[in-house]
Amino acid sequence: MGDEPVGGGPVHLTLRMGPKLTRPVPREVVEALLSLQITSTAGERSGFQMAFDLTKRGAITGTLLPEGFFDPRTRVIVSTTVRGVPTVLLDGLIVRQEVGASNQPGQSTLTVTGEDLTVLMDLEERTDRFPNLSPAERVRRILGRYVDYGIQPDVRPEQISQPPRQQLRVEYQSATDLGYVNELARANGFTFYLVPGPVPGVSVAYWGPQRRLGTRQHALNVNMDVNSTVDQLTFAYDGAAREEPQVRWQDPLSRESTLLPQPDIGPLRPPLGRRATPALKRRRLAGTAKLGLEQARAEALARAATSADSVTGSGQLDVNRHGYVLRPRELVGVRGAGVTYDGDYYVTSVTHNLTPGSYQQNFTLSREGLVARGTTVRP
Amino acid sequence: MTEPYEGTGPLDAIPGAHPYPRSSRYHDAVIAVHRAADGTEVRYTERRLLPPLPDPGDEETAPHTVADGERPDLLAQRYFGDPSQWWRIADANPVLDPAELTDEPGREIDVPLPGGFPHGTAQGGLRGR
Repeated sequence: MGDEPVGGGPVHLTLRMGPKLTRPVPREVVEALLSLQITSTAGERSGFQMAFDLTKRGAITGTLLPEGFFDPRTRVIVSTTVRGVPTVLLDGLIVRQEVGASNQPGQSTLTVTGEDLTVLMDLEERTDRFPNLSPAERVRRILGRYVDYGIQPDVRPEQISQPPRQQLRVEYQSATDLGYVNELARANGFTFYLVPGPVPGVSVAYWGPQRRLGTRQHALNVNMDVNSTVDQLTFAYDGAAREEPQVRWQDPLSRESTLLPQPDIGPLRPPLGRRATPALKRRRLAGTAKLGLEQARAEALARAATSADSVTGSGQLDVNRHGYVLRPRELVGVRGAGVTYDGDYYVTSVTHNLTPGSYQQNFTLSREGLVARGTTVRP
Repeated sequence: MTEPYEGTGPLDAIPGAHPYPRSSRYHDAVIAVHRAADGTEVRYTERRLLPPLPDPGDEETAPHTVADGERPDLLAQRYFGDPSQWWRIADANPVLDPAELTDEPGREIDVPLPGGFPHGTAQGGLRGR
């Protein structure tokens, strides 16, 4: 690789910034980038942190910083290209900047911190009524307000349908849009997050069950000599994680309270392991007696499903060696970890660590039981 | 390869479905369903239209002068680090046969810069859909 041209090499980073519509950043900004960290987690908002080298007479100190190029509410879009395949990693807003001026030459830095576009939905508390709208329709209506930032809704219908009855109850929002959408997701066992991409400036707002179906990503290899792509992988099996919710519901006519049967979480979370973890704990959910029957059943399902993940794994991989960017909130296969812990996992969170010359990813995996269901994983 | 757990999407019951990997040029192509006369459904990949050529002033491509003995896959290895990405260079140059790209030494061709998206980087939506 001696005659590698300028810009050659497997991993590239593209940075775009701007107030609402973004443009590629000036050359000085890319050259000053010291490190970039992006964290994305299922069910939580993503965050990022960028550090820039602050030279005394550089363009950043002289013009860009005073002109407000790094001000809060500036939009940042980060995409990487690995082996020619571009991926958008982040579409977010800056919320905070720090300047550390130092006596040591070359030690002054500008650190910029921000969050993904859901921070827009968390700025303003809103009161709104939603007569005769089911939870999914309410979420769709709330997400419609953010179309001009390129947010396209992907809203799935609830697992247990809750037909709205205006005569009985009118649903009311008294929190921020994000808070209310997250509350609705939690009550149904769903997650809400933004996926940036597939092209810069567009992101998909997903409200639905964790995606535990479909094509797996390329498998993570551990303990396989030269074929290993993961440096280290640690698994934990927590027997006390899973709980059996006890939900009582009172019939408003006969005043009789009944214990609802245990819900089947299969449709919400297709099993990934062969030997499911038994539930050790039993917990009574408070305040379900006065809900509607469908709402109470949805609560029971949500609690049973979200506590089911008892096997977790965490590790670190080098993207150059792996050859692909590991994406969060999708399935991935693991091999080389032994019969018990091999097989498919859901990628719960991924932290991208980019510095000039290296691209590392820290990740956490989860599933609900031991032993793989199939004999093969996607290589 | 058989999936350990089959999907339950509306299209998953139809045979012949195969998702393309992200590095493939057919990754964004539309998968359509053909219904035969006897009612059987066959999935096929719709014809892929080339993305619009970048404007000369866009700076989305870099010029490369072809030397003797070069091939599209060798160029892809040099510029992208993966020889199977040669189709990105072919997409950026209007040629009928990819071999034409490097046939005559001295010809100047456009190589897409890294970060180029197959559908362009248009704001607010997918171009060419």
